[in-house]
Amino acid sequence: MRRLSFSGYIAQLLMQLFLLFFAIACIYPFILAFMASISSEKSILDNGYQLIPSEFSMLAYQAVFKSKYLYTSFGVSILVTVVGTLLSLIICGMAGYAMSIKRVKYRNAVSMFFYIPMVFGAGLLPWYLVITQILHLQNTIWALILPGLVSPFNVFLMRNYFATVPSELIESAEMDGAGVMRTFFGIIIPLSKPIIATITLFIGLAYWNDWASALWFIDNPNLYPLQYMLYRIQAIINLVRQTGAMGDMKVPPETFQIATMFITIGPIILLYPFIQRYFVKGIMIGAVKG
Amino acid sequence: MQRTIGKKKNGFAHEMKRNYPYYLMMLPAAAVLFLFSYLPMPGIIIAFQDFNFVDKFRSPFVGLNNFKFFFTSPYAFRTTFNTIFINLNYLVWTTFFAVLIAILLNELRLKFASKIYQNLMFLPYFISAVVVGKLVNQIVFPDQNGIANQILGFFGHDPISWSENPAPWAWIIIGAHLWQVVGYSTIVYLASITGIDDHLFEAAALDGANRWQQIRLVMLPMLMPAIIIMTLLSIGGMLRGDFATIYSIIGDNGLLFQNTDVIDTYVFRAIKQAADFGTTAAVGLYQSIVGFLLVYGSNWLVRKYDKDSALF
Repeated sequence: MRRLSFSGYIAQLLMQLFLLFFAIACIYPFILAFMASISSEKSILDNGYQLIPSEFSMLAYQAVFKSKYLYTSFGVSILVTVVGTLLSLIICGMAGYAMSIKRVKYRNAVSMFFYIPMVFGAGLLPWYLVITQILHLQNTIWALILPGLVSPFNVFLMRNYFATVPSELIESAEMDGAGVMRTFFGIIIPLSKPIIATITLFIGLAYWNDWASALWFIDNPNLYPLQYMLYRIQAIINLVRQTGAMGDMKVPPETFQIATMFITIGPIILLYPFIQRYFVKGIMIGAVKG
Repeated sequence: MQRTIGKKKNGFAHEMKRNYPYYLMMLPAAAVLFLFSYLPMPGIIIAFQDFNFVDKFRSPFVGLNNFKFFFTSPYAFRTTFNTIFINLNYLVWTTFFAVLIAILLNELRLKFASKIYQNLMFLPYFISAVVVGKLVNQIVFPDQNGIANQILGFFGHDPISWSENPAPWAWIIIGAHLWQVVGYSTIVYLASITGIDDHLFEAAALDGANRWQQIRLVMLPMLMPAIIIMTLLSIGGMLRGDFATIYSIIGDNGLLFQNTDVIDTYVFRAIKQAADFGTTAAVGLYQSIVGFLLVYGSNWLVRKYDKDSALF
């Protein structure tokens, strides 16, 4: 490696400073929010958010874990994430695989069928009406799962990956008597771990973080996913702030809201160190064309 | 000979017989796509109807009245302008910062520091729009006690009542979006940089190019295809606001609509408050057609100048 000149050192130093500043800006709100969630309500009201709060308290978490809605919402979120991700992976994977087989004659026509919705949509209202008036999915768990099940982009990503599997391998498996399904689940899937892991994480994250579906389709508190419950708490507070009308409504204390927020991102933060490198790998697969 | 003629005669039936397991495998995904993407398409006719829930899709036709109503209302210009303004800023600043940071990360000598920065910057991408909204509303820009007012106080400025002050919110939304996605885009560009052949840099160095010239004359041109693809992918959504983030930050605070109401938030309110379905459908169609034209137009332009970078 070349030796750095004096100006080279200065440049390295400036770059470090700039990147450090940006990296801190990315995580500072989380740290501050976490400290707020374990501090007492009084210390926030008196001094605002502090990196090191003047008074610690776990009351907020105790209150959150007492509310039964938390457990219901957690259950809904986990169910939707697990079922949605598995289903999506299986049906998108199968479609991608079938489209990657060169001897399938109409695969380009099918690709076109998957491609058109990526550029042209009917708009929100017809979509909303189909789901509520024709399929009658409102206030069911399926309204949270089905609309996000097929992402053409993921299908194409998998198709491109499966296309790199040598066709001799597939032919010899079929020669040995394996059916198409057996070949797919027994040979192709184990060979495609990087793309499967990546897509699983992308879909899983999308389901876990989804709240707009609940905003559109769910009125039943027993079906609120975690993110939507968090949104409801925020919405009530905004309403109170604007109208100034407190009435009989009790505003949840600041620390309670922030503790709830931490519970919704908790699983992500805990898993982040393990899944982060898969994401990076996946983005590379998707980004570097060909 | 006989057999090939037979094949041609019933090509479809033969293909189905030969490869039916593959077509069965495509079926579930195609069916879901049909239900949620194709089935709504005929619903476009609502845009030309005076829609009501009794007659549903057989509601009376009113020609172009819904379009006339929207485009003569004050909302048409305001929401279109806000949508394009916010999206263009998303695009320009995300690209700028992501490319800049990717280059800096690549130039950094301390590789472990580069890895740590990447991990920290990537984290916000994993957070839901609701949490972003909450961090913005409650930690950074609440009327009292937030980071923003603490910083203003540090410089001797009076605290600002953010929730009543519409002017800065478009920029707050843009900032929140950047905070969330720059780390992600950075990794995309970093991947492209890693893919550049080292010989190109060595050749440039032999010709006497210093590091800055190598970045400007070798690295940036090599990054262009990635930049173009990322831009093309986002251009189709130019009239589609970032609904989840914007709605979770602004919600129903009417005081802030002036600078932040985008087409999608307007449509959402119109649907949920059961106002005027024909108009919202017209707005949806307007979004889709403009989006479609933008994708096609920009792709056509890219094709004309650099065929390999085009999307299709």
